[in-house]
Amino acid sequence: MISSIVFINHKGEILIYRVYKDDITRSETTQFCAKIVATKENKECPIINIDGTSFIHITIKDIVVLATTKVNVNVAMTLQFLYQLVKVCRAYFGGEFDENCIKKHFVLIYEILDEVMDYGVPQIADADLLKKYIQEGGLKPELMNDVEKLKQLTSQATGATSWRPPNLVYRKNEVYLDVIESVNVLMSVKGTILKADVAGSIQVKCLLSGMPECKFGMNDKLLMQREPRKPGQTTTDKGITIDDLKFHQCVKLPKFDKERAITFIPPDGQFELMTYRITENINLPFKIMPVYNELGKNKLEIRVKIKSIFEKNLFATNLAIKIPVPKNTANVTTNSAIGKAKHEPDQQGVIWRIKKYPGDFEALLRCEIDLGQTTNQQPWIKPPISMEFQVPMFTASGLRVRFLRIYEKAGYKPTKWIRYITKAGEYLHRL
Amino acid sequence: MAYFGNNPQRGELQELYADLNDLNFEKKKEAVKKVIAYMTVGKDVSELFQSVIKCLEFNDIEMKKLIYLYIVNYSRQKPDDAIMVIQNFRKDVRKSENPLVRALAIRTFGCLRVPKLNEYLIEPLKDCIQDDDPYVRKTAVLCVPKVFEVSPDICPALLEQLQKLLEKESNALVLANLIQSMREIEVVSGKQLINLNQKIIQKLLLAVDECIEWGQIFILDYLATHNPQDSKQAEIIIERTLPRLSHINPTVTFCAVKVILKYLDFLDNGELVKNLCKKVAPSLISLLSWNQPEVQYTILRNISLILQKFPILFENEVKVFFCSFNEPYYIKYEKLDIMVRICDSKNFGQVLNELLIYLNEADPHFVRKTIKSIGKIAITYDKALEKAVSILVEFAKNVQQPTEPVQELLMQMQLIYKKSKQMYKYDESLKIIYSIVDYANEPESKSACAWILGEFGEYIPKSVEKMKEYIDNFQMEDRLVQLQLLTSAVQLYLKYPSQCATIIQQLITSAKDSFNPDVRDRTYIYWRLLSTDPEVVKNLVCFNSGVVSNFSKDLRLWETQDLVLALENMGSISNLFHKLPHQLYKNIKIKINNQHDVKIYKGEEKPDTQPQPQAQNQQDGSNQNNKKDQQQQQDIDLLSFDEPPSNININNNNNNKTDVFELI
Repeated sequence: MISSIVFINHKGEILIYRVYKDDITRSETTQFCAKIVATKENKECPIINIDGTSFIHITIKDIVVLATTKVNVNVAMTLQFLYQLVKVCRAYFGGEFDENCIKKHFVLIYEILDEVMDYGVPQIADADLLKKYIQEGGLKPELMNDVEKLKQLTSQATGATSWRPPNLVYRKNEVYLDVIESVNVLMSVKGTILKADVAGSIQVKCLLSGMPECKFGMNDKLLMQREPRKPGQTTTDKGITIDDLKFHQCVKLPKFDKERAITFIPPDGQFELMTYRITENINLPFKIMPVYNELGKNKLEIRVKIKSIFEKNLFATNLAIKIPVPKNTANVTTNSAIGKAKHEPDQQGVIWRIKKYPGDFEALLRCEIDLGQTTNQQPWIKPPISMEFQVPMFTASGLRVRFLRIYEKAGYKPTKWIRYITKAGEYLHRL
Repeated sequence: MAYFGNNPQRGELQELYADLNDLNFEKKKEAVKKVIAYMTVGKDVSELFQSVIKCLEFNDIEMKKLIYLYIVNYSRQKPDDAIMVIQNFRKDVRKSENPLVRALAIRTFGCLRVPKLNEYLIEPLKDCIQDDDPYVRKTAVLCVPKVFEVSPDICPALLEQLQKLLEKESNALVLANLIQSMREIEVVSGKQLINLNQKIIQKLLLAVDECIEWGQIFILDYLATHNPQDSKQAEIIIERTLPRLSHINPTVTFCAVKVILKYLDFLDNGELVKNLCKKVAPSLISLLSWNQPEVQYTILRNISLILQKFPILFENEVKVFFCSFNEPYYIKYEKLDIMVRICDSKNFGQVLNELLIYLNEADPHFVRKTIKSIGKIAITYDKALEKAVSILVEFAKNVQQPTEPVQELLMQMQLIYKKSKQMYKYDESLKIIYSIVDYANEPESKSACAWILGEFGEYIPKSVEKMKEYIDNFQMEDRLVQLQLLTSAVQLYLKYPSQCATIIQQLITSAKDSFNPDVRDRTYIYWRLLSTDPEVVKNLVCFNSGVVSNFSKDLRLWETQDLVLALENMGSISNLFHKLPHQLYKNIKIKINNQHDVKIYKGEEKPDTQPQPQAQNQQDGSNQNNKKDQQQQQDIDLLSFDEPPSNININNNNNNKTDVFELI
């Protein structure tokens, strides 16, 4: 499988070098560093073949994380593994992943590398689990000598519910659900929707005792059709069509496949229960209407009207609309009734920021752009207008959580909290 | 803690040596860390071997791991010293009650890779394979291929043990590792080790539900190489794999897709196949919006293969392949490629509208490829012709520099004119295209211009002057351009005999002594013919292609037999380069696919145009390459075809080949 894992900085220097199979020499790797990393060619394609060795890599900020191999491995898996490795490192370093912290914690990284991969074959690479037996500065001697505890640990790690340790106790049992939707939309110059989809995610923070079995339900059309109607009950909510769902490993997939029921024993703490994708009947929270005019050789005018299309009692927050301007922009005068608009040269655009924006409301921004002299004759390539926003208590897909039932031997009644939020993903309007 | 200093000074090794032998534990530990840091930056610290392994006597697991790392790195350089640690390993494996320590020891032991040490390893390894603790077992099973690689002759008993374990093991994670380990051995030895029977298949399918994500991948990957006995078995495997489509790890989903697509071929029930396709498609599309571009890329690369066998999966889904502005170019290229492939007589308008936007992109290679794609669509779909041409002509209006896309534009226009010459004789487009011929600076585009000049001489103002200009520079041109100029000049001569008499004379004089035999030959042929019977020349050069030739859409069609094999390897490196495994790796045996009739899964609609025999409308002598050869070349040499056009200038000598690709 994989011959070695290497961390390289942007100058092409090796920071971490761990060999799993000796079919590769160090000089092959340094060659890659010199040829590819130092020349920035690594940004062009995630896999490069040099003389029979494949270099599969990802770039996280300035660090190149590389896997080398000489056999026909599964590339998708290898890439995924590298990402997982970075995730594990981040979990240990408090979210950081840069040259400094790699150098500082290199002993720990070697320990992690020893555990997450064996003979080039990916092994247990779950940060929460790893933290149980790999700690900076070594494990406590009490644990190392407590054979019972160790056995429990290894059986959890290799067992069918490796994500949850047994015997958890909380005084107050609570579950927090966050439904987070990102709306991706691409509108043509004329304002027709070229593509639109919602990428949703349900984040759970779970503070529950014991081994709870959870059952989770949404207004999923396919599920609701299966449920028997209660007599006398008339419901207007027919449910929504979900194109595709992906679940955390704790969810019992065969059961979902058969009954479309979402059941699981949750991990402890924060995790992503599921992601979903929806393309039908999306309520776009904002409409963008730009007008572009060339007022002369050195003058442009861009007018952008935005309209919120959600209920009046809701508010969108932290709007930022980015209107691209040419490189040779000298001066921009902006004019709008609400929010602040400013030319930000490093972003090559005018950023229009509005803190709070009510539902069913229209606003207009007018930008007059003076262009400086330029030797470059190339016409300006207009990037799309992009938009950022958040709308709390709103789901663009119309998704609603209908229930979360929790069964545990102890029979406690947990407190449940739920929040909805819709954010802009790639919210683009071509200019 | 600055472990990564500058290069170690001369005395540093001595200093480390002293620290390693110091009585103070903390000092020792710091010294070991420093040794590892030096090792990382590539400095040879093997001299310290003995001092380092002495530190093993402390029962500190962090330090132990570091020392093991060191030993693994240098064991082959110092096999005799490494023997000294054997006792340590054996003690750890046999005596330690801590499963983590047992596993660590056996894991490292296997990595020593010194043949004579392996004998000491066999017995402890056997124990570990039978260990009570699954964590130790999962480590031990992976240790077997390590030993097998170095000393296969001492392994038969171990292999037997693995086979037995496969029968009785119940832990999912151990099973997954076991499968992976046995596959590795199969690759090295070339012999089959896993005897897959109904019971084991059941077991593996059960294990998929229970083990960690990587384990699921190993098992699914393995199942994809298996051929089921009958439709029933295929159905069971598909049914049990379906839930994986909802797994959050994209690779698991992807492997599940692989297994399902593979087994579809074996199903008898057509209705079921259709339903399954409906389930697979959305899953695959979700993977495309995965937020890691590298993973997206591998999936896109595979989709262009999947598309050939399963066009049904992406019907009406062209939108998902639209590029967004900020994507890396390697993704955009793939998406563009796929868009052209799923373009059909219904959605071409949508695709062309999208491609129109890409003409504004900053990267000239990408714009070039976009133009090529537009040309391809124009040629493939009669209905799309008008719209595509109007887009290209609009682009031509704004041309001010001899950029790369302009070269492609001229080449594509030549193809379009070739296809439907009558349509464009009096067309405005011809004048606009003619106005940019001066921007041609690549052999292919120049030859395209020369072709246009010869073919449409009578509809273009000042065509004779232009031709004279070309002929004045004849000697400097590439062979490809020279050949085309000969043909075009003769064509023009037949149209304007009196005006062209002198330039033809000039041309023949300069071309007849060419170093290139092709150019020379052609010159003589035309010369002789012109002096004997101009009518014959007319028939030869003024070829009137009344027939609309068929331009195949899929340039890179695989042999369907190969396609089955490629799909079995979905996600692998070879697929990423669009090759078969044995073409990339010499040690992989050519696998013959016994499946004779390979199914292609299409939607309900019938294809727009029936394939017709290719019309022989190629006048260029350079294009007389054997058609069969081309086909093979496309099948095998997919990679070179796929490279961005930046190499074209370097490959001038191969221009013929490229040209042929363009024309089919």
